[in-house]
Amino acid sequence: MLRSLLKDSTILQYTNPLQISILFIFVLSLIVIFFSSISLGSFSFAFQELFNGGSDSLDSIVLFEIRIPRVLLAAFVGASLGLSGASLQGLFRNPLADPGLIGVSAGAALGASLIIVLGSDVIPDFIFGTLVLPLSAILGASLVISLLYIFTQGFGYQGITYMLLVGIAVNAFASVGIGILTYISTDSELRGLTFWTMGSFGGSSWQLIIPALIIISLAMFWMIPSARKLDLLQLGEPEAYRLGVDVKKLKFKVIISSAVTVGISVSLSGMIGFVGLVVPHLVRLLGGVNHSYLLPGSALLGASLMMAADLLSRILIQPAELPVGLITSAIGAPFFLWLIFRIRKA
Amino acid sequence: MSVEVKNLSWEVNSKKILDDISLSISSGEIITILGPNGAGKSSFLKIISGDLQCTEGQVYFDQSNLDDISIQDRSFIRSVMSQSQDVVYDFSTREIIEMGWLDRGISSYSEDFKKAIDQISEECSVKNLLEQSFNTLSGGEKRRVHFARTLVQLWRPSGSDDPRYMFLDEPTANLDILHEQKMMKLIQKKRDEGLGILLILHDLNLAAKYSDQVALFNEGRLVDKGLPKTVLTEDTLSAVYGLKMNVEKNPFRINYY
Repeated sequence: MLRSLLKDSTILQYTNPLQISILFIFVLSLIVIFFSSISLGSFSFAFQELFNGGSDSLDSIVLFEIRIPRVLLAAFVGASLGLSGASLQGLFRNPLADPGLIGVSAGAALGASLIIVLGSDVIPDFIFGTLVLPLSAILGASLVISLLYIFTQGFGYQGITYMLLVGIAVNAFASVGIGILTYISTDSELRGLTFWTMGSFGGSSWQLIIPALIIISLAMFWMIPSARKLDLLQLGEPEAYRLGVDVKKLKFKVIISSAVTVGISVSLSGMIGFVGLVVPHLVRLLGGVNHSYLLPGSALLGASLMMAADLLSRILIQPAELPVGLITSAIGAPFFLWLIFRIRKA
Repeated sequence: MSVEVKNLSWEVNSKKILDDISLSISSGEIITILGPNGAGKSSFLKIISGDLQCTEGQVYFDQSNLDDISIQDRSFIRSVMSQSQDVVYDFSTREIIEMGWLDRGISSYSEDFKKAIDQISEECSVKNLLEQSFNTLSGGEKRRVHFARTLVQLWRPSGSDDPRYMFLDEPTANLDILHEQKMMKLIQKKRDEGLGILLILHDLNLAAKYSDQVALFNEGRLVDKGLPKTVLTEDTLSAVYGLKMNVEKNPFRINYY
């Protein structure tokens, strides 16, 4: 992986020193936020004692079995959403593409909900949670992206509004589906469903998240070396092809990696809106639009912001919790309005 | 060294857009396609670039069939410039030009890269635009930047004799007279460095002045090809364009009314 990253060498050749220092700062803030996230919350730790070995077992159980998996999951989901937002915006050549807005998350949620309500009796619990649920979510996400592909005639440039309108339609379909499922679900299934629509990192365990973390990392390492090709795609598909980019292969790569990362994220943490929209824009505003900087930057900043949002959701109304999707939407919605305003002016 | 087009035809919905065209583009030569709107000039350029697949006939790049050359290898031997689409994001002009640089593995970047971008920006007189945002440039400036990008794509260290071809669809559109002449002179310079160049132009006099060969298209057929002075005659031109033309011999000049 690392060698193919270096061999493509796009990260080094096409990023300027300013961008490299911004990426470095992103890494630092990621570390800082990670440690604040695992130490703060309704249950606080005395770190020094814990590392000196002089702590009781409750402390270490809360830290290692509850807090760290949760924070890690938040980081990976944030990275997935940031990265897939950035690569979809590049692929569609549309600054308003976001896995939530264009309906990809809704597709994943519908896939997951179907399994929760209809499949819970049939499939054994362990396979159900770790395998079938994410797979069904990935399938839902891929289905929506394929539909978008057909409606936009292979992601041809159709203007910014067209894709958002398709997204509205897809979101409407998905909410009909989820509505029907809500209606026929039992009480315990209903609780599970409510969780998808608002998003939360509660209830993460190592058993659940380890496969997800591995697959998300693989998808990211597969995607990021294509940064340069996404840059060339901005000249238009024929131009990219003339510069040696196998455009079909590139589209396939972006679609699959986005479907997989968004599908898994949604299956583990529900619908978390606007991260995929806001994060790439912040990264662009800070340092530039080339994807060799934008893709890693969006993954890093997405991870930091998601951990921070999760931290807020845990400490704002202690000891209770806010759904994290509520926080990201509260920040993201006004940002979205501002963005539309700015695009209209330009 | 040449691109050989043999008996090329292209049909859309059983309508023949191009009909049995054979043509060759040799290294160190400028060949210009002329003809009225709808003659099939741009379709021809798209087919030999590999954008479109022809229905009959073959295209050979130095004896290799175009169909057998990979997408990446094609990018090393030919560059193409046509009407370009808008760029959505706010790239700098430098970044747009750098997009022409092809990745050849880790050994080739660093020194050569900077040198090539510098030299070509100078030649295309876009050096003062490099740090500006590409989207703020005028139409003519964008055209020059895209031209610089197609040159970067074919850049080689001096002394290299790789065969390379450049296909340009109306490169001088939107340019003022000064930059039009500068670009045509630069194209001639690239020809002298050994590139094979195919142009599509509308200005007959510009074509006559700068081309080694011209090919006249009409309704999908090749009417005639050869030296500008032998192909561009009063009778042929008047018939093809449906417009009365008058050709002065010395200096060679085409007038129309």
